Amino acid sequence: MTVRNRIKTDEAFQYAVQSLELLSPVGHRRLMSLPFCNDVTHLEQEWDRMDTLLPLLQDTAHAKPLAELRHQLMSLHDIRNTLLQLQSHQTMTEVDLFEIKHLAHLTGAIRHNLNLLGVTDLAPLPDLDTVYHLLDPDNTGIDNFYIYDSYDPSLAPLRRALRQLQSDNSESQQAVSDLLERHDAIQQAVIQRLSGLLAPHAALLQEALETAGYWDLLLAKTQQALDWHLCRPQCGDRMELRELVHPQLSRRHHELGLRYQPVDITVQRGVCLITGANMAGKTVLLKAIGCAQLMAQHGMFVAARSATLPTVDDVVSCIGDEQDALRGLSSFAAEILRISDNLRRSRRERLLLLIDEPARTTNPVEGRAIVRSLATLLSRQEGYALLTTHYSGLDVDCRRLRVRGFDETLSQQPVNAGNISSFIDYSLEEDLSDTAPREALRIAELLGCDEEMIKEAKASL
Amino acid sequence: MAAPTAVPPLQMPFVDLILPYRSLSIVGMEKNTGKTVCLNYLLRRLHERGTTVAVTSVGIDGEQVDSVYATAKPEITLYEGTRFITSELHYRQRRLVSKITAVDPQRTALGALVTAEVLCRGKAILSGAATTATLRRQIDSFEASGIPLTLVDGALSRLSLASPTVTDALVLATGAAVSANLQQLVSKTRFVCRLVGLPAVNPTLGGQLTHLSSGVWCIDSEDRCHDTGFASALLVGSQTADLFRHGNRLFLPGMVSDRLLRQIATLPQIKDITLIARDFTKLFITPETYADYCRRGGKLAVLQQSHLTAVCLNPTSPQGYRLDSQRACAALSEALELPVYDVMKI
Repeated sequence: MTVRNRIKTDEAFQYAVQSLELLSPVGHRRLMSLPFCNDVTHLEQEWDRMDTLLPLLQDTAHAKPLAELRHQLMSLHDIRNTLLQLQSHQTMTEVDLFEIKHLAHLTGAIRHNLNLLGVTDLAPLPDLDTVYHLLDPDNTGIDNFYIYDSYDPSLAPLRRALRQLQSDNSESQQAVSDLLERHDAIQQAVIQRLSGLLAPHAALLQEALETAGYWDLLLAKTQQALDWHLCRPQCGDRMELRELVHPQLSRRHHELGLRYQPVDITVQRGVCLITGANMAGKTVLLKAIGCAQLMAQHGMFVAARSATLPTVDDVVSCIGDEQDALRGLSSFAAEILRISDNLRRSRRERLLLLIDEPARTTNPVEGRAIVRSLATLLSRQEGYALLTTHYSGLDVDCRRLRVRGFDETLSQQPVNAGNISSFIDYSLEEDLSDTAPREALRIAELLGCDEEMIKEAKASL
Repeated sequence: MAAPTAVPPLQMPFVDLILPYRSLSIVGMEKNTGKTVCLNYLLRRLHERGTTVAVTSVGIDGEQVDSVYATAKPEITLYEGTRFITSELHYRQRRLVSKITAVDPQRTALGALVTAEVLCRGKAILSGAATTATLRRQIDSFEASGIPLTLVDGALSRLSLASPTVTDALVLATGAAVSANLQQLVSKTRFVCRLVGLPAVNPTLGGQLTHLSSGVWCIDSEDRCHDTGFASALLVGSQTADLFRHGNRLFLPGMVSDRLLRQIATLPQIKDITLIARDFTKLFITPETYADYCRRGGKLAVLQQSHLTAVCLNPTSPQGYRLDSQRACAALSEALELPVYDVMKI
């Protein structure tokens, strides 16, 4: 699956991807076609390049070549289709030739700035001097193009004659038309000849275009890593995240001047059950973990202070109400089908499976049984599964974490619906019991819900 | 050779008149009002003076044959050194020698927009910016590269999204194609000139409104915009009273129809109402309706006021009517208090 499809289903990852400040349509295309990568060597190389660029982006001594480089990337046009036509020996137009010359010119300029920055080797751009000289026969070094006089000895006299005829004001339309026709025929012949001469360079031009687009992407990723204080992940056989945040929410909280509490979490292969009161941020935690894994395996840095992550074959989230009215499925049916499909997948692939409160929409007796069986089966698989739940009494042999949750001592202010989140400790602790926290009524009370309802509920407990 | 016209001493000064401006658009009231002849005249005179100019357009123009009446249409002649912008398709069809200096990858229906410099004079078809923002960018970019004046082949049409009013000055082309009756021609032209001269809203409010490209917006007394929920002024129907829930000013980014103006004119609070159009090219209203609207106290305003510098007249209509050029120029000039030039004689 490419980024283009992934961002349709994963909101947090979509935010991270769309915040990348890409400068060219080629860079954007490269980003959108990035695949989910599970090749550790490839990922390490990608992170190495970002690590090399990071100090350069912060060093004011490099500001000028960097600004120039960005400016050059901004004027990069995506002429992929033109180059495909060139490769298949089609005749170019003058506009196409201008675009090819522009690319050759730009490639030279980008190479120059990468050289000044000392980073050419990270992703070398091909030398397109031959192409440039073909399209700049008079060595003007200017980024303009036309069928220069020097391409054909008959062009200059023809053009002189045209000018003469027109400045005489003789207005002999026929004579002008005849001359123009001859002129255009020669121009066309030159264009054809140039197309033939350029065709063998098509592959090199494509390489230049794609590499320039890659530089755009690499710079954008590194700049984001810097601006968002992201960390370089380590590949390992467990998941260990320190001060993990959900990038979109943490930035939003920051903008509003609100507190955002990062979370530490360590997960081994197998199943980890996460319990916690309502509003304790279990769903956000799952989304943040999914986002970190996706960012890492797309060659980005992740939103944590430090991160060790396993490489998996895919990240699958079952979060939120998946009612599928179009297929005539209730929320339970849609959810259980999706979970079952992914359970089957987990037997063949190493997945990171994130399931938020499975079977919550059915009766608690069967719901508990479903979660129990799911946890048991998933714990036998190769991958990683994180399940949040409110069900107690799940006698499964697996890791259990609990969000610390509501703590009235966290703030001096009286609790209300507007500030309740500042009374929640989002950190995780090892949970040795198998009982889920019972804070639903307390929270309903604090939120100012109907007193009679709460009283009745308490009485029947 | 030169036949006498209404304002003989101003004949040559037409060019002097426009030289102080950074950008000028030429807008025709109807097809065949001599917009292209006027543009060609200016291009030639400016070339003779040695002034380098750039020329661009909104929409498509410069077809060899008029697509409505199939009459022969004057082509746009471009001289050495002139910069021009046209679509990829029309660039290929040009009949001159030129060098490409830039390609705007933003595609139009006719391909990318090509900027070029004429090396050997000839004729070309201009097809240009689809949006006002693109047009503004083009003018700015020409100015940045040292070109003192950009001419814009403007369109007065509800089909054109780009507004020629972004230019500093405007020349209006009128003629027998508008009406073969001199009195009517004068009154219709005077009406358009009045619309061109509509006052602009204050720049702060104008800045807010310029980003709204569709819908119908009510503006309260504190210059805040409220969406009235109508997608277009054409969909308002008879619910005109609902539009003014938040205030007495209404901004209509799209077309303003005669019917809407008539309906609004009947509202009890008409004396306090101001309708704001994007610019005069979006007003499709008749002189009668506008007169009635004004008589009842209604006001019209625009986001961008245009500076009308001169009027050009084409005394010949496509059906073959021919006005007496001298009389027509004199009558128009007197009524409009503006210089008027016969494009066939300048």
